[in-house]
Amino acid sequence: MFNYTLRRILTVVPTLLVLIIFSFYLMRLAPGGPFTSEKPLPPAVMKNVLERYGMDQPLYVQLWTYIKNIVFHFDFGPSFSQKDRTVNDVIAQGFPVTLTYGFWSAVFVLVLGIPLGIVAALRHNSFWDYTMTGLAIFSQIFPNFVLAPILVLLFTLSWGLLPGGGWNGGQWEYIIMPAIALGTSYMAGVARLTRGSMLEVLNAPFILTARSKGLPERTIIWRHALKPALLPTLTYMGPVFVYMITGSVFIDVFFSTGGIGQDFIDGAYSRDYAMLLGLAVLYSLLTFTLNLLLDLMYAWIDPKVRSNL
Amino acid sequence: MTDAKKRLNSQEFAQTVSEEMITSRSFWADARRRFLGHRLAVFSIFMLLALLLFAIFGHAFAQWSYEEIDWNVLGRIKTEGGPNWENGHYFGVDELGRDLFARVVQGSRTSLMVGFVAGPLAVLLGATLGALAGYFGGRLDQFIVGFYTIWISIPYIIFFVVWQAFFGRSLTQMILVIILVNWTAGLLIVRGQVMMLKNREFVDAARMLGMSDFAIIFKHLAPNILWVIVIYTSIVIPEVIMAESLVSFLGVGIQEPNTSWGALISEGAKTMTFGTLWQLGYPAAFFVIAQVSLYYIGDGLRDALDPKDRR
Amino acid sequence: MTLLSVKNLKIRFRSGDGKIHAVNDVSFDMAQGQKLALVGESGSGKSQIALAIMGLLARNAEVEGEILYDGRNLLDLSRSELNRLRAKEIALIFQDPMSSLNPYMTIERQLGEVVELHEGASRSAARKRALDVMDAVKIPDAKNRLKAYPHEFSGGMRQRIVIAMALICKPRLILADEPTTALDVTVQAQIMALLDDIQRDMGTAVLLITHDLGVVAGFCEDTMVLYGGRMMEAAPTLSLFDAPGHPYTRGLLRAVPRITEDDAELSAIPGSPPNQTGAPTACPFAPRCVDAIAECHRILPTMQDGRACIRPVEELT
Repeated sequence: MFNYTLRRILTVVPTLLVLIIFSFYLMRLAPGGPFTSEKPLPPAVMKNVLERYGMDQPLYVQLWTYIKNIVFHFDFGPSFSQKDRTVNDVIAQGFPVTLTYGFWSAVFVLVLGIPLGIVAALRHNSFWDYTMTGLAIFSQIFPNFVLAPILVLLFTLSWGLLPGGGWNGGQWEYIIMPAIALGTSYMAGVARLTRGSMLEVLNAPFILTARSKGLPERTIIWRHALKPALLPTLTYMGPVFVYMITGSVFIDVFFSTGGIGQDFIDGAYSRDYAMLLGLAVLYSLLTFTLNLLLDLMYAWIDPKVRSNL
Repeated sequence: MTDAKKRLNSQEFAQTVSEEMITSRSFWADARRRFLGHRLAVFSIFMLLALLLFAIFGHAFAQWSYEEIDWNVLGRIKTEGGPNWENGHYFGVDELGRDLFARVVQGSRTSLMVGFVAGPLAVLLGATLGALAGYFGGRLDQFIVGFYTIWISIPYIIFFVVWQAFFGRSLTQMILVIILVNWTAGLLIVRGQVMMLKNREFVDAARMLGMSDFAIIFKHLAPNILWVIVIYTSIVIPEVIMAESLVSFLGVGIQEPNTSWGALISEGAKTMTFGTLWQLGYPAAFFVIAQVSLYYIGDGLRDALDPKDRR
Repeated sequence: MTLLSVKNLKIRFRSGDGKIHAVNDVSFDMAQGQKLALVGESGSGKSQIALAIMGLLARNAEVEGEILYDGRNLLDLSRSELNRLRAKEIALIFQDPMSSLNPYMTIERQLGEVVELHEGASRSAARKRALDVMDAVKIPDAKNRLKAYPHEFSGGMRQRIVIAMALICKPRLILADEPTTALDVTVQAQIMALLDDIQRDMGTAVLLITHDLGVVAGFCEDTMVLYGGRMMEAAPTLSLFDAPGHPYTRGLLRAVPRITEDDAELSAIPGSPPNQTGAPTACPFAPRCVDAIAECHRILPTMQDGRACIRPVEELT
């Protein structure tokens, strides 16, 4: 298990390197730069600025310095567009915000999605089952960027129940709508998947064995059916996390949460190389970490996988 | 649709299908019959056709172009900018006083164009790479699959934003970056299919007749994996439209004054505080109708082509 | 003393194409400690009888008749009353040891939970019992394998675990549904010997359900033959093998390979199992029967003198 974890972490390194090098050259080769504006700076000033950000050096030297600083100091360098702020500052300020509602959104996805799927499977073809199928199709059609305005329209503009944006130190009123808007379609996906796998597991021979033991239905579901029914859901969570990270950029912008998504978009507009690159690395690291956690969880649940690690 | 994808990628599924494809000659005729039996899917085809006609010929019915500003209503949009048949703004005007009907036509054009050009091209690229990986195996296979694994674990928004920001926001760039982001669709299943098929007698026979590898791939293998490509395209098109709309919503999509459903929904969402709800409603309705239709068409295609769904 | 008495059992399944008559008018008695075999091809309804006794039939099943266990009709019991009998009084051994064990639970838990449930045993007491019963079914090094998962055992070992699971509460009746079908021939013999030993030690009654007359020969005192959900013949095993009284039984015996008579030709019964949609009106075996006369296609024979055939024994080929 330990070796497996180590191996996985080691494969992340080349992946991140490829990502950094690719994005680095992609950005630098594109026309324009962070300091090109309609009124060109005087050559002397320009030279000064470029020197300050190390941009007078050859590209590969800049790349090397960049990677060196990340590895040895976990330093993503100064922002090119936000005066006197480093990328680290921006991350320190915005990342906790994104993580907070992202966490609650994931909780919402799992805590509502899984029970809904299980109930739909146990009450197969009942009211709950149909409600859930309806919800699944609904959420397929209303992605977060359609759902978010609708939520604001209802809860803020019509009923005045919740604030339509902002963060305010992360009070719960400010977290609810971002978390729901981000999570709803995946919640429905989780519910649908859990329903399907639960139905399949309940027909498995080992469930019949459990019944022949005289176990009450509740024990059969909790002790025998739940684990295998949740494995496909766990696999599904991998891509879901990737999609949710993408969605968080939208949520940050739409709800003005102050999360890093807004900085990412701003960085793109102002050609803030350091910001874009730093946040891209951060997003990728987040994906890898979440996927690794999922895989370890999978191995923890499934003894067959565990013994193969 | 992730679960559908997952199942399509399974080994046993590939087996069943390759068996079936080779034995049954009437595959496509059967598939058409099954598809036509799926009422919602057939209805959705008509809805989609209507949308396409709207996008192509819509401008002919518009009283205004999608760029020009109606100075008569500007400044009084909240009270007079709503849907109105008399002044020719069937869907009202947007916050800058531009005709929303014409803009929705234009947005439909962009979104559908992106979906129906970038979607199939992305699947085609993925299928080609998958076929090469599956057919030649070895190093090439390892390289392609390794690259694939890395690629799918990077949130696509990163490419989108970086690419769009640095290379401009034209329609061509949009289509390009969407292909770049979505090329992974269908790669694994095509690879699996080709690996299965390449050991069949008819491929050996073709090889003995002296056909080149590429001729075998395109003449003999391609017809047998066409159904995969069809299913995947039907899944990817709505996803692509969704992705385009999302980045347009974020403001890094298509460049003004051109527009798309996502950009229109974004503008509508920004102004809904002022009570101009039609600015959100019309684009959102078109977007939702397109997604519903594409969803059911995909559903029907899967029912028709997916051997496991047949009973 | 009669332990189990099945009377006029009928099992039907609702399906899209009408009702499937899986089991028709089956009756038999089992005494305590008796070893009875239920023989038939797949689809003859034999497994459904076992499931009906356990109350585990699929939801679309309709049951008629009586299943008296210790004088109580099992078909009238509520689910919780049935649960008290399952594994404690009547245990079921399933056909496929690969899929009938939960792959995500340790063997100890899967065995132990039965004792915990029915005898209120503590965890450590349950572990002790699990260990005892694993020794009883001769699983080597049982102590160190308590924490193992099913996939870490071979097929034969898994079947031993399944048997151990059925034995752990010392039930009075074991229903063994094709206990050896999924196993190699040598392992089959070991498992049957094991069942025989245990049966003798514990005095448990065993209803052995199988399609394999070879398995029956060495194990059961009495044999019932089922075809198309109907009883064809019931007799003590020895006399059934010596002088089969039903054309179907004869066909079955001809299909069993024997080492002693190497010149005897193996012959399969021609045709395929009957379509069981709708209530039967004639002998279900008639279409495949070499001895069938016109009557056979019209009359539904009932069990008389241990056989359901309208033709006298002497006239059979």
